[in-house]
Amino acid sequence: MAFRLPTAGTRSAIPVGLLLLLGFAAPLVAIVAYSFATPRSFDVFTSFTLENYAGIFDVENTVWLSFLWSGLFALATVVLLAIFAYPIAYGLNRVFGRWSSLVSILFVFPLFVSENVRLYGWVLFFIKNGVLDGSLKAFGFEGGPDVLFTPGMILAGMLYTYLPFMLFPMTLGLAMVPGDLIDAARDLGAGRFQIWREIELPLAMPGILIGMLLTFVLGIGAIAEAKILGGQSVIVIAHDIEIAFTYSQNWPLGSALAVVITGFIAVLTLAVFGRLDLDRLLGRR
Amino acid sequence: MSDDAKKPKPILQLVGVRKTFGDFVAVDRIDLDVRQGEFLTIVGPSGSGKTTLLRMLAGMDVPSEGNITLHGELINDVPPNKRPTCLVFQSLALFPHKTVGDNIEFPLKVRGVDKETRKARALELMRVVRLPESYHGKNVMKCSGGEKQRVALARALAYDPEVLFFDEPLSAIDYKLKKVLEKELKDLHRETGKTFIYITHSLEEAMVMSDRIGVMRAGRLVQVGTPEQIYAEPADRFVSEFVGEVNVIEVARGADGAWTGVDLPGTYRITPPKDTAAERAFVVVRPEFMRLLAEGEGADNCLEGKIYNEYSLGSRLQYQVHVGQKVMLVEVPRGRLAPLQIDATVRLGFDARDAIVVGN
Amino acid sequence: MNQAQKRNALFISVWTAIVVIAIYLPIVCGALASLSKGRYFGFPVREYSIEWWEKTLDSFEIGMLTRTSFTVALSVTLLSVVIAFFGALAFARYEWKGRRLFQKIVLLPIFFPQPVLGLALLLWFSALGIQTSWITAVFAHMVWIVPVVTLVIAIQVYGFDPTLEEAAYDLGCTRFQVFREITLPLLWPGIWSGMLFAFLLSWGNFPLSLYTAGADSTIPKWLYAKMVAGYTPMVPALGTMSTLGAALALGLGGLVVYLYRRRQEGR
Repeated sequence: MAFRLPTAGTRSAIPVGLLLLLGFAAPLVAIVAYSFATPRSFDVFTSFTLENYAGIFDVENTVWLSFLWSGLFALATVVLLAIFAYPIAYGLNRVFGRWSSLVSILFVFPLFVSENVRLYGWVLFFIKNGVLDGSLKAFGFEGGPDVLFTPGMILAGMLYTYLPFMLFPMTLGLAMVPGDLIDAARDLGAGRFQIWREIELPLAMPGILIGMLLTFVLGIGAIAEAKILGGQSVIVIAHDIEIAFTYSQNWPLGSALAVVITGFIAVLTLAVFGRLDLDRLLGRR
Repeated sequence: MSDDAKKPKPILQLVGVRKTFGDFVAVDRIDLDVRQGEFLTIVGPSGSGKTTLLRMLAGMDVPSEGNITLHGELINDVPPNKRPTCLVFQSLALFPHKTVGDNIEFPLKVRGVDKETRKARALELMRVVRLPESYHGKNVMKCSGGEKQRVALARALAYDPEVLFFDEPLSAIDYKLKKVLEKELKDLHRETGKTFIYITHSLEEAMVMSDRIGVMRAGRLVQVGTPEQIYAEPADRFVSEFVGEVNVIEVARGADGAWTGVDLPGTYRITPPKDTAAERAFVVVRPEFMRLLAEGEGADNCLEGKIYNEYSLGSRLQYQVHVGQKVMLVEVPRGRLAPLQIDATVRLGFDARDAIVVGN
Repeated sequence: MNQAQKRNALFISVWTAIVVIAIYLPIVCGALASLSKGRYFGFPVREYSIEWWEKTLDSFEIGMLTRTSFTVALSVTLLSVVIAFFGALAFARYEWKGRRLFQKIVLLPIFFPQPVLGLALLLWFSALGIQTSWITAVFAHMVWIVPVVTLVIAIQVYGFDPTLEEAAYDLGCTRFQVFREITLPLLWPGIWSGMLFAFLLSWGNFPLSLYTAGADSTIPKWLYAKMVAGYTPMVPALGTMSTLGAALALGLGGLVVYLYRRRQEGR
């Protein structure tokens, strides 16, 4: 037991708590309030109507298409990244040894580079006369595939952007599997696949779940990939929200859309958080 | 030794000290006088409350009830940094980012002592605990287990506290090193003349080093006495069993006044229990006082049984003998007897004067 | 089993290498685009030139952007590290009622799409009548960066032994001395890493800055605006420079932590 006053923890939590109250909770409250305001107006707190929501859930409104695209992109990203990132997470824990720190840094660094720069680099790669196209032509081939500004490219961009968010929680999750459990299982006669399914996967599940949740939640609100790599081929929901807030000057509609998305995210997040032990995951073993 | 005339004044006194955590009672009304300059060890099994008691003495926790006084002054609410005491933690709590010298000088540094004086004192302390001078600049985490213990001791002595508390410092050390450190700790106690309060779960450690021992169980002090007293005059069965494996026979007083065995039939000749009105008692016989009787040899109390197992305990041999439903333990020095066969029938005996009779 | 293990290790290493190359490929492409002479990018580059780098370095507008980005990032770093330090103690060190709930609340801003957060903050500022500027951008950045820094420092706090503080207190320190002599030095690597994270995340942040920085422009904002309309090779030039700056900061920062740890252990 610490010798300090029992409320030291509470006192330490106040600055963060205050910041999140003012900067996270309050804006969300504002959005909810705006979502009930008269469409296209700024009469927040003075009007109350369900028109915005009615408009969203109206079958004829094409906004559900945006929801669908965002959802599908996010889902595909999660599934694919779970597969792509797993071997790397495994490597960081068991294969790379001394090099793990360096490899981790290589994967962390892109988070510090503005996503514009990274995504635009892909444009430079795939564009006509770009790096790929030009190299192939230089070798006498026909030229690069015309993949830019397609949904496929958006997905590729999302895989690219959200890899670290799947990788690091997964790595933490796999770190929770003690090496001697695997050795013991092998000694008892289990095959590689059985070890993976019976031991590794269940024990690493908290980290894997967090990685999947984080990737999905961020992916569903992704906008840069669709804008930079997708051209106008697909409008994702975050883009719809942005348009409502900027061009359309329809803050109530944008808020309603944001509330729907936030509600969806909240349900998922609370469901996963409910069964989490963060102390164990982050290092208090 | 005439007690009252030579009894040293108590430096620390506990009166009715009690500590609860919610519903859980960790320390349940302890009264204790700690004599100045003594080496007092509190022993008890895990969970008996000894660590909580120590922490209250050191100031880390505050008693729920009761008073702790130092030199007659109440110190319940005095924080640790204001008490003239020092606690040596089980993990030693050496500061990993500082050198040996910095660790030892630390209490002096925070009291504003200048660099030169600090260093001189640190080197002096290092001599006392037998650490080479060259270690002064060495990072403390690079030291061996025994060396770390010595750094912790030197640091504890640096600001000359009156009482030193030790929280099981030797529990995680191998046997040989432990023996060396026990002796050094005892020497240190003699040289410095300070009051040492030591807690451990190992009675063996306590016996070796202490002037007095206090046995704790479930938050209460069951007995306080010299090692001799604890060993030869345990207050109850728990204390007697705490020293090591013993033979225990439950007896009840019959109408005729004779003591008959409850779990082992027979009449027993024993010294009467302290409580003369008691109807039941436990007869405790240490394995070294349980004898294997030779042909024609007698004893106050005889039992018959079959040898079940033989154990080698270094310089002694221990025999496990089935007597009725129970297993009796007999220990003899190696080589004293001719080798015995498993399943051989033997006669065991013990004298009334070698048996300890306790109430519960 | 050793053969199979070796094969696995090889497969994993090759796959990781491929992914790493794919990650840095666009950055390299950007660098190439910034070094080509003409206004429009074509590969293979016909003629290399550093003219666009020179123009970028000379540009007054870009100088202003850099100053703004730097000011924002520095403010975010200093404010965040103080708040996050106490948050990390609440997260990992003290036992208190509500700690588990607190841990999950702290994570929420991380599990939230930044564009939506940015728009929500814009809404909130306007409802309060606050004009957006680089100051509101600092606040917006902090909302998502403080939780990240809290996590980084919390990880260091988990490894911290509280009995060291008790021992120092017992040896005679005041609470402040305990903090200065024991707590802070031992937590320093985590704090420094947290500061590094805070600075770099703020430096490269786009979605929050876009909506909450108002008229003030940061480097990422400017890059995006030019990408959409008015592209010049100064865009990849600045982007590459910014990336190199981040790499340098990360390298130096990491070096500081490494040397600090060495000094603590090696003396």
